[in-house]
Amino acid sequence: MSLINIRNFAIVTVLGFLLSACATGGKRSANDWYEGTDTVKFLASGVPDRVFFATNKSSLHTAAKGTLNKQAAYIKKSGLSVVVEGHADERGTREYNLALGERRANAVRDYLMSQGVGGGKVTVISYGKERPVNPESSRLAWSQNRRSVSVKVK
Amino acid sequence: MKRLSLLLILTLFITKSFAVVTIDITRGNLEPLPTAISNFYIDNPERFSENIKKLNLDKNLPKVIKSNLTRSGLFYVLDNKSYIQKPKLSHLKPRFEDWKLIKAQIMISGKLKIDDKGRLRVEFRLWDVVSAKEIEGLALFATPSSWRRIAHIISDKIYQRLTGEEGYFDTRIIYVAESGPKTQRVKKLAIMDQDGANNKFLTLGNELVLTPRFSPNGKMVTYMSYFKNLPRVYLLNIETGIQEVVGDFPGMTFAPRFSPDGKKVIMSFARDGNSDIYTMDVKSRRVEQITSNPAIDTSPSYSPDGRFIVFNSDRSGLQQIYVMRNDGRGVKRISRGKGLYGTPVWSPRGDLIAFTKIHKGKFYIGVMRTNGTGERLLTQNFYQEAPSWSPNGRVLIFYRETAGGKKGQGASANLWAVDITGYNEVKIKTPTDASDPSWSGLLSK
Amino acid sequence: MFKSLSLSILFHMSIFAITFFTLPFVMKKPIDVPPIISVDLIQISEKTALPFAPKAREIIEKIKEEKQRIVTKQAPPKIIKKEKQDAIPMPDQLKKKKPKETDKQNPEEVKDEIRQSSEFEKKELFDPNKIAALIDKSKEETAEVQKKKSLEITQDEDSSVSLDKGLSITQEDAIKAQIFKCWNIPLGLPYNEDLTVRIRLKLNKDGSILNSEILDHVRMNRPGQSFYKVLAESALRAVRLCNPLKMPSTGHDKWKELQLNFDAKEMLKG
Repeated sequence: MSLINIRNFAIVTVLGFLLSACATGGKRSANDWYEGTDTVKFLASGVPDRVFFATNKSSLHTAAKGTLNKQAAYIKKSGLSVVVEGHADERGTREYNLALGERRANAVRDYLMSQGVGGGKVTVISYGKERPVNPESSRLAWSQNRRSVSVKVK
Repeated sequence: MKRLSLLLILTLFITKSFAVVTIDITRGNLEPLPTAISNFYIDNPERFSENIKKLNLDKNLPKVIKSNLTRSGLFYVLDNKSYIQKPKLSHLKPRFEDWKLIKAQIMISGKLKIDDKGRLRVEFRLWDVVSAKEIEGLALFATPSSWRRIAHIISDKIYQRLTGEEGYFDTRIIYVAESGPKTQRVKKLAIMDQDGANNKFLTLGNELVLTPRFSPNGKMVTYMSYFKNLPRVYLLNIETGIQEVVGDFPGMTFAPRFSPDGKKVIMSFARDGNSDIYTMDVKSRRVEQITSNPAIDTSPSYSPDGRFIVFNSDRSGLQQIYVMRNDGRGVKRISRGKGLYGTPVWSPRGDLIAFTKIHKGKFYIGVMRTNGTGERLLTQNFYQEAPSWSPNGRVLIFYRETAGGKKGQGASANLWAVDITGYNEVKIKTPTDASDPSWSGLLSK
Repeated sequence: MFKSLSLSILFHMSIFAITFFTLPFVMKKPIDVPPIISVDLIQISEKTALPFAPKAREIIEKIKEEKQRIVTKQAPPKIIKKEKQDAIPMPDQLKKKKPKETDKQNPEEVKDEIRQSSEFEKKELFDPNKIAALIDKSKEETAEVQKKKSLEITQDEDSSVSLDKGLSITQEDAIKAQIFKCWNIPLGLPYNEDLTVRIRLKLNKDGSILNSEILDHVRMNRPGQSFYKVLAESALRAVRLCNPLKMPSTGHDKWKELQLNFDAKEMLKG
């Protein structure tokens, strides 16, 4: 029992190191994702609708995965379908941002599916920089706008 | 050949003993050329109906020419009030001393007439005041209502005669008209003459539209629309108003542009989060995949001969500019500087590629040679992107956004133009906020 | 495997394209864009009158023209450059440029350069790019340029010339300074092309211009030489605006004939 615990601990630690290496290895400050709750809405109580990304990145950090685990559980339970909207901040060229939004939305879709959500339940759409949630031109606003939002299909 | 070499030897010999004093003149004024544009005179006022009189063509036609030439940054048009000679004599028998006196080096005069068929006949002459001679003169016929186009065509003739380069005034610009708050921006396609006149909205704003681009003949536009919440590339026929989707791909298509022969649309198609470049033949609808790379490939633009494609990719990890052959082979990265590069556009002359560069939080519009050397940054700002070339490859139009404060106050989007020398940055007036401009070719071609 | 996959994707895509090509939809409001009207053009003026050449000179002119042709065939370096770019724009096929080029990629520096062009004092500064460009040219090209130059001189020397040559540097500078002020450089000229216009002046004792002539004015009306024509006309205007020139009070023999070589490249390069 304790042996297994130690082994698990070791794995988690090593993985943690690896992750942080990834996160800081990027050329731009790679962990500038938003960690607050200001713009967040909820699909259901306790199920946040969005996750945030670092500049120019589409990888999911631990907190984002936590949120998506809740979304996956909720989608499976409720049988609902969702559209995952991918968004980018205003600090990129329009066309590249459309592609980046698409990449982010798909990263979320892939993760939801890895958590057992059926592929048919999740569609994606990218809005690039066209639909910011915070119109301000500031680092905070940009971090809030680099997001994916899961929207229930009526 | 023998004679030639003999001559050469002889010349070298002569040169040594006899030489005229030779002086190299390598400096001068870099000021715009002082130009006078006289009002045009009306030859047969009795034929001018009330409606035509209201147009005040004798003043307004030269005014449009003045605004074109001034905007180019190459001419300084002297104030009308300083002109000594009357329009009629200026056109028939100019007194060059009078024009020299106000320091004009070039003078433009004109004559208006309604002919037997009721058409407007506009005649103009271009005078070299200093050398005291006429250097160009043309007569144009058209319906009186199309007088603006006449003014643009005359402007092009003058520009060509005085710069040696084709003009770009008889052209249109298609762009995205923006209104409303940033979080729910309403976007419509709009078209206007190059000088901002005749502005028309082409869509109603019910759905988001982006990145319109003219076909080479200026009759079609390809753009991206979120019609029915499906982001896809569309074609719009300007004359009929008919819009159609470009091949219903099972995912987002974006960043469209015509091939130089107008037969294909090249664009990005995103599948499972990965964007690659595809083409579709407009007539046969045949689709072809050009790139196949797990990175983002977007913003494709053909070389004017159609043999190469420049595009934007982050396959190196960050956004950079690449060139490949039109079949997708031979991919080479050409952007080498620090920072990110996007929106490459091949110049109509074929020698340069315009781009957006992002470096240390600033946005630049620049040009580089097609192999990536000779990078020159023309303008720097908080946010600007998406350059589009004037048909003569001399001017770039792009859009610029200002920063938004709390709740987005103060945020704006406008069209700007800059000469490829980096001189003469001018704002292009539009009735609403504007972005994503695309310059047409010359309409009269 | 990969090939067949992409083939199948392509095939499916085509099927999609054909079957799903949605019906065209028309806007609710018809578009009212002014139609592109046809405009008829008629030339109303004679082509520019060229400087009148007396009959005796016509033969000389012909010879000049032939020589000029030879020169043109030898392709000035700038044209060679262009051809290279048009024909093979692939980066790998092009010669690698000097590392100096990367200096330009510093935005602040470029801004400086843009500003410089308006203050020509700075033009005198050492420009690494220019030097690099010079080194870049192949030896063959240099040889050709030299050949070209000597040919040009031939053309210049076909009229009789004073034996006594030379003005002092100060005297030359004084003339330069006058012309600089009179010359409006055509701003639209290509900044990367080599163009020189040579004007021969005959001056009276009081410095007024007796006669001015563009040495290869035939080139002005040749097709494809519109930039040359524009430069030549601007140079002629400069000379006329500067008339009469302030010349030294003595030594008329030394300066009764002057040749001015107008070259805007340095200033336009920015």
